[in-house]
Amino acid sequence: MKKSNKFLFLFLFVMLFTLVLAACSDNSDDTSTNSNNSNSEDNGKKSEATEKVKLTIGSWRTEDVAKYEKVIALFNETNPDIEVEFNPTKNTEYNTVLNTALQAGEGPDIFHLRPYAAGLKLAGAGFVEPITDLKGLDQFSDDYLAASRGEDGKQYGVPLNISSTQFFYNKKIFADQGLEVPTTWDEFIEVNEKLLAADITPIAMGTKESWLLSLTHGIVGPGVVDGNAFADKLVTGEKDFTDPAFVESIEVMNDLKKYFPANSEGLGMEDIRTLFAMEQAAMFPLGSWEIPVVSELNSDLDFGFFPMPSKTGNQTVTTWVDGSFAINANSKNKEAAKTFLEFLTTKEFGELFVEEFKMISALPGITSNDELLSELSKTVETNSTPYYWVINFVSGDPTTKSVLETELQGMYLGEVTPAEVAQKVQENAEISFEPFK
Amino acid sequence: MMTMTVQTASTKKERKKGKRWTIHLFPIPALIIYALFVLYPILAALSYSFYSFNGFSRESFVGFNNFITLFTTEPYGSMFLNAFKNNVLYFILQMIVMNGLAFLLAFIIYKKVKGAEFFKIAFFLPRLLSVIVVGFLWKLILNPNFGTLNMLLGKLGLEELQRAWLGDPNTALVSIILVNCWFGLGFGVLIFLAGFQSIPVELVEAAKLDGAKGMTMLRKIYLPLMVPSILIMTVLTFIQSFEAFELVYAMQGSMGEPYFSTDTLAVFFYRLAFGSSTSGSSDAIGLGSALATVLFFFILVCTMVFLKFMNKKEVQM
Repeated sequence: MKKSNKFLFLFLFVMLFTLVLAACSDNSDDTSTNSNNSNSEDNGKKSEATEKVKLTIGSWRTEDVAKYEKVIALFNETNPDIEVEFNPTKNTEYNTVLNTALQAGEGPDIFHLRPYAAGLKLAGAGFVEPITDLKGLDQFSDDYLAASRGEDGKQYGVPLNISSTQFFYNKKIFADQGLEVPTTWDEFIEVNEKLLAADITPIAMGTKESWLLSLTHGIVGPGVVDGNAFADKLVTGEKDFTDPAFVESIEVMNDLKKYFPANSEGLGMEDIRTLFAMEQAAMFPLGSWEIPVVSELNSDLDFGFFPMPSKTGNQTVTTWVDGSFAINANSKNKEAAKTFLEFLTTKEFGELFVEEFKMISALPGITSNDELLSELSKTVETNSTPYYWVINFVSGDPTTKSVLETELQGMYLGEVTPAEVAQKVQENAEISFEPFK
Repeated sequence: MMTMTVQTASTKKERKKGKRWTIHLFPIPALIIYALFVLYPILAALSYSFYSFNGFSRESFVGFNNFITLFTTEPYGSMFLNAFKNNVLYFILQMIVMNGLAFLLAFIIYKKVKGAEFFKIAFFLPRLLSVIVVGFLWKLILNPNFGTLNMLLGKLGLEELQRAWLGDPNTALVSIILVNCWFGLGFGVLIFLAGFQSIPVELVEAAKLDGAKGMTMLRKIYLPLMVPSILIMTVLTFIQSFEAFELVYAMQGSMGEPYFSTDTLAVFFYRLAFGSSTSGSSDAIGLGSALATVLFFFILVCTMVFLKFMNKKEVQM
């Protein structure tokens, strides 16, 4: 009798215990949210008393915490009353975390907005405060502002940095071979042929990782189509991917294969970077973000860049906006947040940004101590063509950009012809790209 | 409740009964955890496959639409078929190469060759590495221009065999499967060795006294007695083959590169459900869940058939 009682008692005790635990956790949630609320209320009271406002910034750049601290310090020199906290989330989880917070009416006062469609989706849902009249916005080029301009024509973000893709080249190899930087398409092919004849791999490129292929097409494509003119007509639907010039741009990609290293179908990002950094290849078609990485691999490497020479005479680097800063529509400190965004349009910030982040600022006329970066920044301002794969063709499932990538990979493996690549890209774009429908 | 127990537990028999009854309540805390963290997610994924999604927010109930889209709409239909074929090849090759070799090696170790213990550990060693490490290691070995394999082939004068192992669609999948065989070999050896060691010594001795030798011994004595181990390994290999993900992801990325030649159902699922999370397109969580559901039931049904077959075999013996 006593034994069974004991068991029952134990069981009830366990059940009770779990219940208490559950209740506890509920309670703790409640108290924590309560305390949060009371905190923010406190803050509110304080700000009335001391005029000190606290702003939080959300971002996916967890690696830049120290750099943003310097940015905030500079901001506080002129705005001592606004306290700013940079509070980033891991890149791959940022979208989810931000979306969830915004849907609950919470989230940071200022957040890093993904460029183009992904970020504008948030604006379309009403989570982002329009800042069309923000002081300083008029300095930015219209293309950069477009990265965070909604369908309603309102501006939602201050563009931060520009990514650009172009050919890098090894200055020493070029000098040794008596080669000049090519300025026309024919010269470009000639340079490749001469390098090949001298038994030097002309272009460090591999086709194993397909994202490298859309990137390379972004660089090489404008060499055969009239870069900006084609892109402009493409995005309005006036031209599409069946255009002979576009098909030619794919054929040209195929023809370049003979200038790639041996076994290029098995080479990925790391391999081609190593080839270029170790001076085993003369040219390297990649993005501005590779400059510090390549320099770190081989600090003795003397390399420069050249904008893509073309058949039409233009020379372009391919650019897009990598991110913008926007204000949460539910923020309680919108005025302070606007002050901060205005700060992001100042020359002082631009100079600090280029210096610390080693990236190209979206602000015009910012120079840097880094010669290569400085030169690239200038070229970006004068000779850029939009990277339309990232800007316009990242919707659909799979996205048009990823169809281009896999089909180009198929082309390099001999599975599809260049015309078929263009056809498949067109078919996908007709489903997801508004002007083609 | 308390008083009821006190009343009914008056006789010895009833007391025993009460004890039996209460004992069934003890798994409840464990069951709650199991239900919360195992059953609920499975059922949730199942239900997600009947909804449409926009980003991470669930929208409307769409019935079997996700399943229909998955099988009939391009490019999903051909991607599914392609990935399924690759999974089948994964299974067949692993059965022949990995399990065949594991069986042979286990037999040799069982026969007490010199250094048997050393070989047992040596074969099992790769298994201790993380799959990501294995993938990285073999990516280096198989690298077309710096890799050890091509270098070795060059030294042996077999230049015509050198190729971009992971970049050529004809060799990429087979290369990855063989790496997986290398990785899983030790586990197979352990299972088979345990199987051999559980065969009664008397039986083997009796057969020997009756004059059985070599192949007869293997065919008539060892093989029939090893059927349970073989079936277990078959089931495990089957499940592992159809869930193959890590190695492909580590070595070829989420696109099953090159040109989908190394795509598997699990990689396809990953691409569907999470692949486009940083782009502007809506995530196909519904489609992904539909694929997960199909995969789950396919593995469940096949495994159940295997196990039924296994039970029958065991009864026969």
